Amino acid sequence: MGYRERHAIPDLGVGVGLRSAHIVHVLRERPAMDWFEIISENFFAEGGVARAHLDAARAHYPLVPHGVSLSIGGTDSIDRDHLSRLRALVRRVRPPWCSDHLCWTGAAGLDVHDLLPMPYTRETLAHVVERVRRVQGELETPFALENASSYMEYRESTMTEHQFLAELAYRADCGILLDVNNVFVSAYNHGFDANAYVDAIPGDRVVQMHLAGHTDKGTHLLDTHSDHVRDQVWELYRRAIGRCGAVSTLVEWDENIPTWSVLEAEGRAARTVRDEVLGATTKVRPC
Amino acid sequence: MLDPRDGSLAGLQRFITDAVRSGTASPLDPHRAQGADRVLVAGKHGLSPADRLEIYREQFWVRHVSNLIDDFPTLGWVIGAPAFREVASGYLTAHPPRTWNLQRLGADLPAFIASEPRWASDRLAVDASRLDWAFMEAFDAPDASPLDLSPLAGATEDAVTTARLRFHPSMRRLAFHHPVHEVREATKRGDARERPAPRNVRVVVWRDATFAVRATSVEPIAFDLLAELSAGAPLGQACEAVANANGVSTPAGELGERVGAWFQDWTANGWVSEVAIAR
Ligand SMILES: [Fe+2]
Repeated sequence: MGYRERHAIPDLGVGVGLRSAHIVHVLRERPAMDWFEIISENFFAEGGVARAHLDAARAHYPLVPHGVSLSIGGTDSIDRDHLSRLRALVRRVRPPWCSDHLCWTGAAGLDVHDLLPMPYTRETLAHVVERVRRVQGELETPFALENASSYMEYRESTMTEHQFLAELAYRADCGILLDVNNVFVSAYNHGFDANAYVDAIPGDRVVQMHLAGHTDKGTHLLDTHSDHVRDQVWELYRRAIGRCGAVSTLVEWDENIPTWSVLEAEGRAARTVRDEVLGATTKVRPC
Repeated sequence: MLDPRDGSLAGLQRFITDAVRSGTASPLDPHRAQGADRVLVAGKHGLSPADRLEIYREQFWVRHVSNLIDDFPTLGWVIGAPAFREVASGYLTAHPPRTWNLQRLGADLPAFIASEPRWASDRLAVDASRLDWAFMEAFDAPDASPLDLSPLAGATEDAVTTARLRFHPSMRRLAFHHPVHEVREATKRGDARERPAPRNVRVVVWRDATFAVRATSVEPIAFDLLAELSAGAPLGQACEAVANANGVSTPAGELGERVGAWFQDWTANGWVSEVAIAR
């Protein structure tokens, strides 16, 4: 039995990231949208407008928390405060899964608030497996790790990123959040084959996919989430959905945030691609 | 600088963390560039290992400086954008981020401004940084349950005298040398023109029932009373202390009536979250 089946991971359809620029509109108009992803840390406070919005939104839409600061690959001990707030958020939202990134965010007590890549070695794999197990034990909810975009690679790596991610998911028994745009960005930056990466990811472990826009800086692609999904990324998404099946898909847009209708249209575009590949029409969840 | 060849993951991560938060571009720092050569692979499109570190370093500064710009709009207006960027750089170097919580990034900025030789004597800048930080703290402070005034109904005068008030967790009391809360409002409206003349003001910052963070000035004597009550003094004792300190007659007289009016304002603003009466 595959990971998704074992953990009863649902196909939520196609959603978008719920950002503060749109939240009032969403709560007032309740537009048709299958689901929303929320940035976990934005909802960690014990009070204020974010918590009120969270409670209002979860009454009408499935929400899935997606973290950016757990630093699962870090060498400082896992932040107890962060983990207990994440656990409280998960208990409040009761999502089918939650996620963070395969990365580290700082060292020696400092936090640079970036998604820094790991060296892919047997030793670092054992280190991350142990930390994922601990986090999952605390969360009591399926937990998935996302492949982050990266701009550097280590000499000491002895495995590819997809090998590392696949083995990590197997040994820690966690899910994978496959960010198709990140595969494309990193493939360009490091010169690997994006199709081979997607083909090597164990499809049954993929609980969610991300789509986003990036920026071409000439010498590298930067994962800016500031634009439409590029054509080559749509192609890669077709391939990924073809391999993994009906997996919840989410469009991220975090800079130069467009109007709601533009974002909604990007979600519709994802749904069209998904339906074409799967040969089915995904119904939009009525609100 | 740590040698990344110590072979440990922790050593590697410390080396990269230091490079990413450095004020100097990695390619321009020979020692760091050599360290990058030892641990990183060169990029596919003409990027050296140090160039690749530089992508992360640039992002570090863009992200954190823009966060501080958003969090300190009044200070930004008072000292101007170029000076603010300099302050932000100095601050982030002296106080690198130590928590996952970006909302806390500017926690030490008011103290930093107050200790910087260039700004310490600019009382408006110091005031502005303190006000902006109070807004940040109020924004996501814990919620309070709705105020229940029923314990007051039918309470004896003695019971009221020994009542203790609790205040909304978002509430902050600040004394300033300038009406800096008016500057913040004006910058928000886009019509801040010139630095205000010095004037001592007592300001309360709080998050209202619509989750908007607001600031208003209060009379010094009401401010002192809020301080006594916030410290846990019973109402009667707090009034007496404030009356003595300000040379007004005791609660039975002049101050008593004013306290009644203030209490109405405070509850209407949502400042009072609980009235605890001993039975
Ligand atoms: Fe992503």
